Amino acid sequence: MATQSHSLSYAGCNFLRQRLVLSTLSGRPVKIRRIRARDDNPGLRDFEASFIRLLDKITNGSRIEINQTGTTLYYQPGLLYGGSVEHDCSVLRSIGYYLESLLCLAPFMKHPLRIVLRGVTNDQVDPSVDVLKATALPLLKQFGIDGESFELKVVRRGMPPGGGGEVFFSCPVRKVLKPVQLTDPGKIKRIRGIAYSVRVSPQMANRIVDSARSILNKFIPDIYIYTDHMKGVSSGKSPGFGLSLVAETTTGAFLSAELASSPQGQGAAVLPEDLGQNCAKLLLEEIYRGGCVDSTNQSLGLLLMTLGQQDVSKVLLGPLSPYTIEFLRHLKSFFQIMFKIETKPCGEELKGGDKVLLTCVGIGFSNLSKTLK
Amino acid sequence: KKFPESSKVASGQRLGSENLIDETSDVEDLLKEEEDYKEENNYSTETSGALKWKEDLSRKAAEAFLRQQQATPNLRKLIYGTVTEDNEEEDGDTREELGGLFRVSQPSRECKHKLDSLDCSRFHVEAPHDWDLEEVMNSIRDCFVTGKWEDDK
Repeated sequence: MATQSHSLSYAGCNFLRQRLVLSTLSGRPVKIRRIRARDDNPGLRDFEASFIRLLDKITNGSRIEINQTGTTLYYQPGLLYGGSVEHDCSVLRSIGYYLESLLCLAPFMKHPLRIVLRGVTNDQVDPSVDVLKATALPLLKQFGIDGESFELKVVRRGMPPGGGGEVFFSCPVRKVLKPVQLTDPGKIKRIRGIAYSVRVSPQMANRIVDSARSILNKFIPDIYIYTDHMKGVSSGKSPGFGLSLVAETTTGAFLSAELASSPQGQGAAVLPEDLGQNCAKLLLEEIYRGGCVDSTNQSLGLLLMTLGQQDVSKVLLGPLSPYTIEFLRHLKSFFQIMFKIETKPCGEELKGGDKVLLTCVGIGFSNLSKTLK
Repeated sequence: KKFPESSKVASGQRLGSENLIDETSDVEDLLKEEEDYKEENNYSTETSGALKWKEDLSRKAAEAFLRQQQATPNLRKLIYGTVTEDNEEEDGDTREELGGLFRVSQPSRECKHKLDSLDCSRFHVEAPHDWDLEEVMNSIRDCFVTGKWEDDK
């Protein structure tokens, strides 16, 4: 592992997760200073502290130092250990916030990760568990991470502000990742979705489905939106409803969109009809952006390409999100990997906006802590 | 077919990238310039003039190439060229003194916004299209299996 002198230094709390994740994978310590230094309430928030605790649980021998005001964080990563873990996530952010990072780390554990996460399953900010299940898991499968134990399950649904949801995630470990050539997005053959409602009338979900279908039916007939109404202890502590939509293409690419109702007592009330229509339009926007990986999972795909065997990997993406752009910069500083980036103008084809082709040679990362059996 | 060819082409051009439009206009400019030079050539009967015309053409081509390079957003430069290092010295303050004792601390809004903004991977749609319009709907028509397929498939 790297020595302390190789530590990287950053400022501000933005992109905290990707910095800590890349630090863990590369073994380089990071120091993050001036975390909300000029804020009225300075330092790390609860949800970030919870994220750091989670990292501590899945690794062995990590050293974490936080100063008294919480504005400076020093993280020296240990080894990824995995195993059976339980974690209570902060209700300020949804489980998706934590799960996104776990998806990056889970394939490289010593023992396969089996984790129970409790908190908010769907909110308006982060990608929900449903969307990650439908988009990130197939993406990991492209890299050769597959098996019976590969699973993400919503046991209980929890909406903000109360939370009370529960998710089970288990992921097998792999020694090496397969390089990928995801250059053909294919054509969308079907659209699937989940309209969920908890602690409100089950009719809400049906109203969402009807309005979403009214827009999407103009493009493709193969649409099925499941209605998911959880009751009793499975419905969490707060009422709410929402919709997540996923478009699957002939080549196995998944594009997603989602919307959730405002948390109880916050923001303007949303009609289920409006929510359904707006979510369908968001999916059309995502299809317009296009690419082989949807905009939320761009960084996950690029990370797995970087960590692949020493071979060329290619991926065609829609426009890069600000999060992905920063992630590319971080990949450069942690792994010295620079991608070849080519813009592919859409031209006369009726296939949405301009695309970006990213090419890299993997660093040949192999999971040395994986036990041989 | 559902749509007449002409409307397809028109919508394609309308929605076509700006790069493409830039490119075509560049080519047109070049062609125009070429024509101008040819005309000049006709007036001058010297042989060195022809050589001069050729020299100029390569320079023009180089300039046009550079112009085009600048017009298309160079993503590589955008991503790797302007890496935002945290500058310790500046600290985002403007050193303005008040009564020779206090300093007004005014962190530049942009800098602060970026450093401490929400850590979220979702890519929000900033300028949504109007999906009720036929033209906009047609722009993604071929992304679906119900759209037009390439000849080789």
